[in-house]
Amino acid sequence: MWKSARGGAALLCAALLASACGGGEQASTGAQAGKVTLSYGVWDATQQAVMQELAAEFTRTHPNIAVNVQLTPWADYWTKLKAAVSGGSAPDVFWMNGPNFQLYASNGVIKPIEEQVDTSVYPKQLVDLYTYEGKLYGLPKDMDTVGVWYNKTLFDAAKVKYPADDWTWADFKKTAAELTDPAKGVYAVGAQLTSFQEYQYNTIYQAGGHVISPDGRKSGYDDPKTIEGLKFWTDLIAAKQSPDLKTMTDTAPLQLFEAGKLAMYWGGSWDVAEFTGNDYTKDKVDVAPLPKGEKQATIIHGVANVMSARTEHPAEAWEFVKFLGSEPAADLLGKKGPTPAYDGTQSDWVAAHPELKLQVFLDAVAYAVPYPVSKNTAAWQEAELTHLTRAWTGEVPIEQAAADLAAGMNDLLAKE
Amino acid sequence: MSERRAYGVHAVLAAASLAMVAPFVWQVITSLKTLSGATRVPPTLLPEGRWDNYAKVFDLLPFGDQFLNTVIMAAGRVAGQVLFCSMAAYAFARLRFPGRNVLFGVFLSVLMVPPQLFVIPQYQIMSSLGWLNSLQAIIVPGLFSAFGVFLLRQFFLGLPRELEEAARLDGAGPVRIYWSVMLPLARPGLVALAILTLLWAWNDLFWPLVVNTDPEKMTLSAGLAALQGQYQTDYPVLMAGSLIASLPVIAVFVFLQRQFIQGIAHTGTKG
Amino acid sequence: MTTTARSRPVRAAHAAKGRRRPRTEALWGYAFIAPTGLGLAIFYLWPVLQTAYFSFTEWGAFGGHTWTGLDNYTRLLGDPEVGRAVLNTLTYTALGLVGIPLAIVFAALLNRQGLRGVGVYRTAFFLPVVTMPVAVAMLWRWLYNGDYGLVNQLLAAVGVDGPNWIADPATALYALVVVGVWSSIGYNLIIFLAGMQAIPKELYEAAAMDGASRVTQFFRITLPMLSPTAFFISIVSVIGSLQLFDLVFVMTGSGQSARANPAYARLQTVVQLFYERAFVTDDRGYAAAIVIALLVLIAVLTMVQFRLQRKWVHYV
Repeated sequence: MWKSARGGAALLCAALLASACGGGEQASTGAQAGKVTLSYGVWDATQQAVMQELAAEFTRTHPNIAVNVQLTPWADYWTKLKAAVSGGSAPDVFWMNGPNFQLYASNGVIKPIEEQVDTSVYPKQLVDLYTYEGKLYGLPKDMDTVGVWYNKTLFDAAKVKYPADDWTWADFKKTAAELTDPAKGVYAVGAQLTSFQEYQYNTIYQAGGHVISPDGRKSGYDDPKTIEGLKFWTDLIAAKQSPDLKTMTDTAPLQLFEAGKLAMYWGGSWDVAEFTGNDYTKDKVDVAPLPKGEKQATIIHGVANVMSARTEHPAEAWEFVKFLGSEPAADLLGKKGPTPAYDGTQSDWVAAHPELKLQVFLDAVAYAVPYPVSKNTAAWQEAELTHLTRAWTGEVPIEQAAADLAAGMNDLLAKE
Repeated sequence: MSERRAYGVHAVLAAASLAMVAPFVWQVITSLKTLSGATRVPPTLLPEGRWDNYAKVFDLLPFGDQFLNTVIMAAGRVAGQVLFCSMAAYAFARLRFPGRNVLFGVFLSVLMVPPQLFVIPQYQIMSSLGWLNSLQAIIVPGLFSAFGVFLLRQFFLGLPRELEEAARLDGAGPVRIYWSVMLPLARPGLVALAILTLLWAWNDLFWPLVVNTDPEKMTLSAGLAALQGQYQTDYPVLMAGSLIASLPVIAVFVFLQRQFIQGIAHTGTKG
Repeated sequence: MTTTARSRPVRAAHAAKGRRRPRTEALWGYAFIAPTGLGLAIFYLWPVLQTAYFSFTEWGAFGGHTWTGLDNYTRLLGDPEVGRAVLNTLTYTALGLVGIPLAIVFAALLNRQGLRGVGVYRTAFFLPVVTMPVAVAMLWRWLYNGDYGLVNQLLAAVGVDGPNWIADPATALYALVVVGVWSSIGYNLIIFLAGMQAIPKELYEAAAMDGASRVTQFFRITLPMLSPTAFFISIVSVIGSLQLFDLVFVMTGSGQSARANPAYARLQTVVQLFYERAFVTDDRGYAAAIVIALLVLIAVLTMVQFRLQRKWVHYV
């Protein structure tokens, strides 16, 4: 029946759109003697050009292997990748991120790296992130850490000193109080709920708490220290030094910052392009390290290149992944794209904007904590939002919300 | 007597019209402001002449592609429905064949089902045909419409039989009667169907959103939703994008106002 | 249908004429309905059966599905999110019905003999109808902005401190109803106007001779004569409201960030939930169960309306 439906549709298609349907199947060129074409799935349009450059560079040194860069926008990348993997048409090599990695590795749809590689050239946290049951599956491509972006104009107007490199939670709170100016509609910072990577996760680890146990089985949200890390933010809202959640729903913190309504914005190294490109922020911002709580901590994350388990060209795919993880590739990436993960290749990235203290993001690697993940990260990330929203609005105390979240998350983890 | 009351009527209607139009005026004004200008309290009424927002929309959206996709999709659906629905409607209204009423009932049953029920399997069909991210995907399922058959059948039933009989006596077969006698007579019905289909196709969100995720294959409706994904709450940019996307149908409406209104009216009164 | 009965004599006359025609006529009949018939079968009827089947399955992360019997339905009954979505959708649908009397009133005003500027008013009312719903939602999200939106700026001018309309659980759903009514009133108005113009003038003339005022005429003639149209509109708008998606999808965004809207629990609709489960979390078996529930909801409410129509719809 399914087949006949398909046949019928094909028939209709033939009759109605004879010309338009032609593109349905890709001609399998490049299959002639020894010539191989690899497909490479990526999601960031701003990196498409540099990815193509890397592909061309690879083909120069490996004349028998061509690479076709396929861009799928972030919003649909995972949906489409899943569909492609189930349909057996996944790209040979593609970008992977932390939250999705274990899902792909545990289902055996990506290929572990067989060859011994020197991983000491990448941040250890990222190597760990892409290791599942003792096997490494991907080579880190880039990395990002978090810092405090601040609006120098608003600091000057409030006559507040710029953040020092060794500032603490106490310093941050004092600064926040001084910067808040209800009369002008200016808040110190936006306690954003939707970006755990830039907000809650950092303060949780700074407070000495944790999101998930090292074995990925237990939630850390019932740890009092974790709750302290969350309270950091709800206190700011309660003190009206951050807009409330309703206001941040109507106007996102990024826009509030870019309209001069927020003095500070916790953001990633990837925000360089945004803030140097924006007309308002480009001559007003700089960046400082995150303040120190009980510990110093920042979340580190990075994209890795992985291979499809069902690639028809495993040897060539590995050659390409190895090339992408090499120093020359990282050098090229650092000139045009995000911070490369390869140790010692980041100087070009820092030098591109001498007016900003970008070194902050690199120094943070020393004390960075990997992005917390498990096999089905997305499931409990939804729970994080569902439960914490109620604490962010003040509907329930943060302790209560965190306890509910811990229980919900443990249920989900038990199902993994 | 009615002069004074006519003022009252005008006052009510003018107030309501203002409520209908004012949001659009505000949309235009905002689209020409910077973000910090748009978030000024109290607000300024004057636009700042910032055309950058429109440039940003074009940076993110392959607007030309999406415009073309939407036009082709709408045109394809309109042409397909007008042809196929009128054929079926003519058969149901005028030709006799065993099982006619049962089949018509089956057609109508599609109308009773909320369209979300079709989506998952349709997606599977498109996926197995390799049609995800293609024009076919957004056109083909839209070529067929139970509603169109129903609407046009009502029209055909209301047409006088004399011309048809005369043609038949001249030896015309069903095809000629359908094409040269019935279709010309049913023009108002066809126009109504065409206009409704155009409107629905242009504004359709769910199906294009699901099936075409590649920006170059998206329709304007889905593209606009994607713009929000990128620019979050950067309202001046969003206002610029939403204006560009909705302007074409508004323009068509302004030019074809009478047909639009008659078309809509036809759906309520039975043929 | 009544028309079939009407055409019978004609048909009988033809049948007597010859035996050849009915055979070929039947073949032509099938040929004429074939394109739409096949299309509906493949893209609509078969999918309904498939969705029904999927509602008894669970989908794996990378495709493939296994039969799980009634699991999805038991999960559905215990899922607070589904309960909220159904409640929100029903509330939205019920409140949205106020658009119908409003449209009748405006149509009656526009229908006044010799009124000038009808075209201008009609265009104004119709503008939101032809505007893309995504654009409408975006526009209202901005108008409703708690700090910088036009609505609150106007309220501030008269000394009222307005809420964050669509981020506040107390107002979000009502704010949504306003947008729904605002964008559909023009459509309903056009249909009512057509209905009014079909009412025989003699009725009004006779009433006027009896000394009935305009208001009396409106209640005694216009309203009863319009009741079948109103019934049609209420059926269509209830079905449409129960499928609310576009407005909510754009106003809250989709996926995880939507859940950070404090009013999300008041804005989530059945179709929005379906979208999330089918195409964001890829839980398609459960999503199928959700739309089957929607089908039942629509069927029940439509049936109830047909039952109630006897009480208020006048057929001449």
